[in-house]
Amino acid sequence: MSGGRSKAVVLWGLTVFSLVLLSFPTLIIIGASFTSGDIIRFPPEGFSLRWYERLWQLDSFKDALLRTVYVSVVCTLVSIPAGTLAALGILRYRIRFRRSLQVYLLLPFTIPLVVSGLGMLIFFGELRILGSLWPVGVALCVINLPFMIWAVSASANALDSELENAAANCGAPPVVVFFTVTLPAVMPGVITGALLMFILAFNEFLVSLFLVDSRIVTLPVQIYNSIRSVITPDLAAVSVVYILIAVLAVWLLDRLVGLEIFLRSK
Amino acid sequence: MVEIRDVSKAFGDVLAVDDASLALPKGEFLTILGPSGCGKTTLLRMIAGFIRPNAGEILINGAAVDNVPPYRRSIGMVFQRLALFPHMTAAQNVAYPLKMRGFDPVTIPDRVSEYLRLVRLDGFEKRRPQELSGGQQQRVAIARALSFSPDLLLLDEPLSALDKKLREEMQLEFRRIQQELGVTTINVTHDQREALVMSDQIVVMSEGRIQQSDSPEAVYRAPSNRFVANFIGLTAMFKGAVEVSGDGGILVRVGDTALKARAQGELGNGTAVDCALRAEQVRILDDPANGDATAFENVVTGEVRQRIFEGDRMVYEISVPALADAVLFAFDHDPLHHAEHRPQSQVKLGWNARDFFAFPSDRT
Repeated sequence: MSGGRSKAVVLWGLTVFSLVLLSFPTLIIIGASFTSGDIIRFPPEGFSLRWYERLWQLDSFKDALLRTVYVSVVCTLVSIPAGTLAALGILRYRIRFRRSLQVYLLLPFTIPLVVSGLGMLIFFGELRILGSLWPVGVALCVINLPFMIWAVSASANALDSELENAAANCGAPPVVVFFTVTLPAVMPGVITGALLMFILAFNEFLVSLFLVDSRIVTLPVQIYNSIRSVITPDLAAVSVVYILIAVLAVWLLDRLVGLEIFLRSK
Repeated sequence: MVEIRDVSKAFGDVLAVDDASLALPKGEFLTILGPSGCGKTTLLRMIAGFIRPNAGEILINGAAVDNVPPYRRSIGMVFQRLALFPHMTAAQNVAYPLKMRGFDPVTIPDRVSEYLRLVRLDGFEKRRPQELSGGQQQRVAIARALSFSPDLLLLDEPLSALDKKLREEMQLEFRRIQQELGVTTINVTHDQREALVMSDQIVVMSEGRIQQSDSPEAVYRAPSNRFVANFIGLTAMFKGAVEVSGDGGILVRVGDTALKARAQGELGNGTAVDCALRAEQVRILDDPANGDATAFENVVTGEVRQRIFEGDRMVYEISVPALADAVLFAFDHDPLHHAEHRPQSQVKLGWNARDFFAFPSDRT
């Protein structure tokens, strides 16, 4: 039995070590954001909320946050119909070039973001829409759409295709079948995907860097700009705000569809 | 009511349904019976409108339905996997076709409870399919298929997933509801018992073709070919050749023995035949209750190879050397009080010509 015991000790040791390693940067940032000093350091000097207060007063951060929310909402709203229909289309219908289409829809994810960013910079420039905020949301939707498609596919895979025949047999024309039977059945996947898209867009940095200018800068870009000058604890405070939003999203996910479904879909 | 004329359907190179025709009068219960892969489900799905035939015509109430999509056909269907809507309650499932087919919303709740009562599910309105037992889900599916009073009800092997006892209970339940409502019904199954118990008419299918179409008694009593004889009932099949062909009866030589048989089809002297003999028509003459050898036109002696005790009967497998070692089946319907015949023991078997079918052999 001692063999089993030492195995348990090693496994527990590894687990604790990994957890500490993974959460270490986060813990340091959270700690540092409550400092009362003027520079980021750990352990923090004293305790205060002054950097959070300052964050609230800093219009540049507040505006950047609102812009990021706007961009994320645009991204999510575009991705819901696009990703849902793409996933169902690929899965349920005998489309010509189905295989190639599948690869293509996952491709944005395999192209380096730098390349995507540059491409979209040129494309949006040609369309003369560079400098507006909504195209950034659309761009983020394009690069992250595979996540949405995966999430919906996972739900749609579990769906019995006979349900749609049954609905037709009950007298429902195709469009009604979609809204009354197909869509409710893949709803967990749609919710999962939508939340994922929101969070991904909320955090996205590289492609945004290409597409925003100083008038429409988003929060991740704003943070990046700030660390190039002086690193002050308000950056730590911003990071904590980020973490809170991510936690909120996970909590929402759990309430809406249950984490098991989400974890199984990946 | 329903008429199918020369319908064919191929998937790629595979001919799933080959030139099928049948007619079903209003109010009758028809079963399409056949092994899996015989094309019976394809035929049913063509009637429902999910698949389009390559050739031929399907008529419902005298009108061709080729260009009518499934949702415009007045057909209720109970699916093999039931396909109840998982996000709706039992009552919502039953109400769905009513909403879709434009029933007056005021009347829908009454109709829903009427049909849930018909399938004896009153009190389960608010349950979702996952919260119901297999038998209860069946009943919801039946209520959903019938609530809008369709012209035609289709059953796609809905009972195949149930255990034996529940299945037999639901067979009678289906029959009761069908007769109560007088709805024209087409059922698909591979279960011969189900077909015999439930139907007014049985269509036996094999390899995409309709083999025989008749009442259950007729299909059982007078199988039209080798396949039907072999598929329905516990039937011994063996090969022989016609020795004497005359009016009324023929003599078939099997191994060293000439047997009196009933010809199914034109059989001249020397024709190779497949012989079919049902287990319940074979009497074991050693059992005193079964009479003596003089009562039977064909009598042979065989050796018991195996005996299978099924509770209400014993099934014997008996090998007969005089018939080129053909294996016959015989029942003993009172195994608890009769002496059993052990393997290797010799038994005398008798049967009559009218129960012994000879079919022209397949070329293969």
